[in-house]
Amino acid sequence: MNFVDVLRDTIANSGFAILTWQQGVMMIVSFILLYLAIVKKFEPLLLLPIAFGMLLANLPGTGIMADPAGIMDASQAIPGARWYDDGVLRLIYAGVKSSIFPCLIFLGVGAMTDFGPLIARPSSLLLGAAAQFGIFMAFMASLALGIFTPEQAAAIGIIGGADGPTAIFTASKLAPELLGPIAVAAYSYMALIPLIQPPIMRALTTEKEREVKMEQLREVSKAEKIIFPIVVTVLCTLMIPDVAALIGMLMLGNLFKESGVVERLSDTAQNALINIVTIMLGVTVGATAEGAIFLKVQTLAIVGLGLLAFAFATAGGVLLGKLMYYVTKGKVNPLIGSAGVSAVPMAARVSQVEGQKANPSNFLLMHAMGPNVAGVIGSAVAAGFFLLLFGS
Amino acid sequence: MLAGKDLSMIDALTISLTGILMVFTELVLLAFAVVIISKVVGAFSKGKNSSKTTDNTTNSKSDAVPLPETQSRGEIDLIDVSQEDAAVIMAIVSNKSGIPLNRLVFNSIKLLEEE
Repeated sequence: MNFVDVLRDTIANSGFAILTWQQGVMMIVSFILLYLAIVKKFEPLLLLPIAFGMLLANLPGTGIMADPAGIMDASQAIPGARWYDDGVLRLIYAGVKSSIFPCLIFLGVGAMTDFGPLIARPSSLLLGAAAQFGIFMAFMASLALGIFTPEQAAAIGIIGGADGPTAIFTASKLAPELLGPIAVAAYSYMALIPLIQPPIMRALTTEKEREVKMEQLREVSKAEKIIFPIVVTVLCTLMIPDVAALIGMLMLGNLFKESGVVERLSDTAQNALINIVTIMLGVTVGATAEGAIFLKVQTLAIVGLGLLAFAFATAGGVLLGKLMYYVTKGKVNPLIGSAGVSAVPMAARVSQVEGQKANPSNFLLMHAMGPNVAGVIGSAVAAGFFLLLFGS
Repeated sequence: MLAGKDLSMIDALTISLTGILMVFTELVLLAFAVVIISKVVGAFSKGKNSSKTTDNTTNSKSDAVPLPETQSRGEIDLIDVSQEDAAVIMAIVSNKSGIPLNRLVFNSIKLLEEE
């Protein structure tokens, strides 16, 4: 063996030699997402780990998402392989596949959420429901395209809920093969909410409606805040049992916060735990976006359908807000309706910004937080409905 | 229920309508539950407050009914200052000092003209 042979063998076994065009494209996509997360600060907490997971999974020959033991996909199984022979990200991905990570994220979200504005104005719940319109529009549009199964269409529709963990939870159960594109679309559009929503909000409302100043919300007692998560858990789960994991964890986190007797648990849920789970969920979800799987017509369709879902969700919330404006004789600013798409607190901030553009002395943030947190419950209910129908 | 079955567009429309109806029903139920909780809790705390007032006749009325944390005590003289500006100043003082507004007393806020 001479020097040239060694060099040839080294090059032949390097990643450069086995790099496919799909992997190259996906690496470029991951660089763009890294740019958006770091420079543009678009949902960086999730977009950054997702983008890096995407990069790792598309570096050739790493086997980081390999599944020789066939834990996730029996067709990939190699006789004699054990579970620990699987790629490291594939093993961590078990947390997504088993729905542990989305549920733990919901626990943290619950511990960070103040349902006070929603309790002070219960009609906010209606706006949270109306903004789920986008989910069902995207579901129908997905089926109309004819390239998705009903299960896949349901998972795509949930993108319209603008709730990352719910979208991942639903996709991992109904369409695990589309988890990567769905997660990337959901988080990308959530980051783009300040660009997507305002034109729709302005198109559907008049200047006079946008100028409406809303009455200050009443103060909510501690007892109300403690009873609320318990009642929500019981009511929602009795109606749609499949929603128990998501709503249950969301409300448990909130009860940690509001009860005031488990400060340490509340602190862990809203800081350390959610941060650790976010890292693992983000990286492994990004790693599912392997070039050969990701670069398909279906992915482009999902990106388009996700935008459609967000647009209709925003329109649904604003239109019901408009109806409430007329019913209350101008006491409700329709702009708060768009916050019903969850994406806490980004969507509420958009309502605040648009309200202030119309009337600089307008402060809609707290009023928009009601529909915003109602949207989280609404999208979880919609997900539970689809799981009830299409879950195996 | 429908796993693995093909759906026509009519089926999809029916499912969508049922779904949005389900979401509305669930959230309307929750809204009613919230209203009931608020009424029950309100009635309880009212009862508690009135019993406190009758028990402790030596206390003044303002002590018996605690002010919310977003409201300050006493009256304030505003000299060349709008109510909105005063509210912002009081909120900043409360926030920076870490003392809730209901434990702070502001006597006056006066605009100092720059020379």
